[in-house]
Amino acid sequence: MGTTASQLGKDLLSEYQELTFLTKQEILLAHKRFTELLTKDEKELQNTRVPTERILTLPELKSNPFRKRICHVFSTSEQKDGSLTFEDFLDLLSAFSDSATLEIKSHYAFRIFDFDDDGTLDRGDLEKLVNCLTGETDETRLTRDEMRQLIDNILEESDIDKDGTVNLSEFQHVISRSPDFVSSFKIVL
Amino acid sequence: MASEPWRQGAREVYGYTEGNGYPGDQQSLRLRRVSSQVSNQNYPQFDWNPPPAEKDEEGNRGQPRDLRGSPLPMALKRAVRQVQQMQVPVVSSRESWKRKKTKSLHKLKDNARGWLSFVTLWSKSLQKIGGNFGGGVQSYFLFLRFLVVLNFVSFLLIAGFVLIPSIVFRSVGDSLVNSTGPKECMEYDPNPQGLVVFYNYFLNLLSGTGFMEYSYLFYGYYNNTTVEDSNFSYNIPLAYLFTAVFYFTFCLICIIARMGTAARVVMVTGGSAVGNYSMIVFTSWDYGCLGDRATKLKQKNIHYRLQVDLEEESIKKRAAALTLGQKIVLYALRVSMCFVSFGLIIAAFYGIFVATDFSQKNSGEQGILGLIFEYLPSIVITAGNFLVPLLCDQIALIERYAPSTTVIVALLRAVFLRLVSLGVLLFTLWSQITCVGETTVKDCTLCQYNYKVYPCWETRVGQEMYKLTLFDLLINIVVLILVEFPRRMVVDNWSSKLAQWVGRQEFVVPANVLGLVYGQTVVWTGALFCPLLPLINTIKFVLLFYFKKITLFYNCRPALKTFRSTTSTFFFLVVLLFGWSLATVVMIYSLSEIRPSMGCGPFRFFPSMWSIVPKSFYNLSEITQEFLFFIGSQAFSIPLFALSCVVMCYFVTLASVYGKSVALLRAQLKLEGRDKQFLVKQIEELSRQHQILKHTAGAHD
Repeated sequence: MGTTASQLGKDLLSEYQELTFLTKQEILLAHKRFTELLTKDEKELQNTRVPTERILTLPELKSNPFRKRICHVFSTSEQKDGSLTFEDFLDLLSAFSDSATLEIKSHYAFRIFDFDDDGTLDRGDLEKLVNCLTGETDETRLTRDEMRQLIDNILEESDIDKDGTVNLSEFQHVISRSPDFVSSFKIVL
Repeated sequence: MASEPWRQGAREVYGYTEGNGYPGDQQSLRLRRVSSQVSNQNYPQFDWNPPPAEKDEEGNRGQPRDLRGSPLPMALKRAVRQVQQMQVPVVSSRESWKRKKTKSLHKLKDNARGWLSFVTLWSKSLQKIGGNFGGGVQSYFLFLRFLVVLNFVSFLLIAGFVLIPSIVFRSVGDSLVNSTGPKECMEYDPNPQGLVVFYNYFLNLLSGTGFMEYSYLFYGYYNNTTVEDSNFSYNIPLAYLFTAVFYFTFCLICIIARMGTAARVVMVTGGSAVGNYSMIVFTSWDYGCLGDRATKLKQKNIHYRLQVDLEEESIKKRAAALTLGQKIVLYALRVSMCFVSFGLIIAAFYGIFVATDFSQKNSGEQGILGLIFEYLPSIVITAGNFLVPLLCDQIALIERYAPSTTVIVALLRAVFLRLVSLGVLLFTLWSQITCVGETTVKDCTLCQYNYKVYPCWETRVGQEMYKLTLFDLLINIVVLILVEFPRRMVVDNWSSKLAQWVGRQEFVVPANVLGLVYGQTVVWTGALFCPLLPLINTIKFVLLFYFKKITLFYNCRPALKTFRSTTSTFFFLVVLLFGWSLATVVMIYSLSEIRPSMGCGPFRFFPSMWSIVPKSFYNLSEITQEFLFFIGSQAFSIPLFALSCVVMCYFVTLASVYGKSVALLRAQLKLEGRDKQFLVKQIEELSRQHQILKHTAGAHD
């Protein structure tokens, strides 16, 4: 089962509608944008895997500081190189869509922020996260003292079981108190 | 490291590196993780069939719904779906019918949502604005869109119940009622006499006089027609009154409904807590940001916010360490600055009062000078609204509040100024119409209102509101053309220090929102006297949307200081409610206290506008009268009040119980964490002992 050359079959479309949060128009638009990324030969194949560099040419992802992590999280390739098939792409758009639930958004946000993929956010992950948020250049980074104060404050606020890391439930607890998260964790083509 | 096995178990659970699946049910994740940590080290975590214990829970829920929300890759979701479809659940026909119904309902909802997003006004523009300038600016435009829709729907309401019947029944003529008032009161001739100079038409358009005065635009044109047919009766004055009252109630319901979602969220998050660092770090990135420029801007924003919060924290620590003497000085400074700002506001009010008085006294002038005199109150109000907040901002710098408190204090002062300046204008109008409430003064004895200057006072009030609305729009356009565009051209093309210091315009959201609230309050106040004002306001706000969008994209640089979008939406609606209450007070007063003009309008033969309701009440059937009397009596209202108290107590108790259980769960989490650490230490101990034993056993061999 995969995507054929240029058209999506009707039952495939309804299956995607059931398995993702996307509407019919959104799925068709996603298909259109995805096929634009494919080269001529790749269009003939089924289930093509598009490498990360080409995915990152999409304007919605191009300047996002978390773009590499997003590709990595949604990728199902064995080499873990961040390449996406069309279905991975749909999973990505589904998690970032308007109608996705808070649970799934917070789950994927946690995975995106977990830079070392160990299942928790420790000090290293938090530091990398803050650097992504403020920019990687030297002028935009926080000073070492500010960073330490900030991470201490974060851990004090969100680490409930005091193990020095933020796990998924603690993360979701923080997220549930934020009114803006669902509307800002959105990528619409 | 001895803790590695545990870590490895966790890695397998999440399946990040091995590409394993993820357990489908989010709620049971924690239970599974705790129970399966030690046991599932060697085989994949993903469970194709949910364990029997949980089957009953999941079996009766809408299965396809859960699949969307499970964080699995598409292939695994498809596999799970196949398995679910193969499992023939033993359900009754009623269950399957219910499930089919919910499925079709969900499909309907999805289709409706897709259609709605297509039809929603300006959704693409709003997305672009949000991506480039952030949520704070976007909340202003969302608020503007809400007001446009509100005004348009109100106009449809008024058109349906007042305007169209008036047009249709115009030919029926006035109902003959014995008018017992003095003849001078009933003289009202708004049509201009003699030759009219051509530019007078333009002046009339701007001020609502002349050919515009006696038209559907104003109250004076409507008649008290009552159509009585065999099976159809329509009482225009009653319809006019009820439409006005219903319009206010409808607006209140819309505002409260919109506040409902925002309020719920604000209650949960406990408002904007300064120093809520985890919130900022985890949730502040806007994934809809497009382009390098917007991304860098957002990063600068976040950087600034974090720095400001960290600095505020250290300031707070320092402030707590102030000596008593320093504290006294600071508080004395704040109190005196408060008085200064009050003094400024009162000076502005006095200026408005004098201007309105002067304008009313010289209302007979012709030509351009006459136009200036007519618009004098609006000019003074606008000047006051511009200068006083500017000065208050400077005062706020001296007061040295925390940055977030400064914003709120500045906004409250500006709101106070804007709305009460409108109130002062209305007060001066009232004092002239009713001779300061004394009906024994010479001019007002005959008709209980000043018939010489105001033969039709409602139209006059309507004209004032009309002028305010138009003037507001004109000022916005003029400021755009004459101030903002030139400013940008100067800053971009003239590279001097002064130009760089002034810099490009910043889109200040609070000030703009107050402008909207002011405009809407004016419309509400004037809607009773100028029924077409909501339509004019709809057009005005639509134009304003496009003008503000143009100035935003061409002239403005995005603000460095952020304004949180959800709490700010709530605050905008609260301020809008202030405006609404002012307008309601005006409406209630005009309905009940002032005598309607005898020369014009649908209420000309009634002692007050409200008196038509008791009069028509007695035309209703006996049963309806009895029922309405019962609703208003004590026998009904006291039990109703008691019942609402009981319901409220129930909800308050429920809320406190939830709060207590949240605290309990947090304590339990802490304990569990400690248990986990204890167990890990035990494992370490045991494995170390095991290693030692193995070592010694090996050494013996």
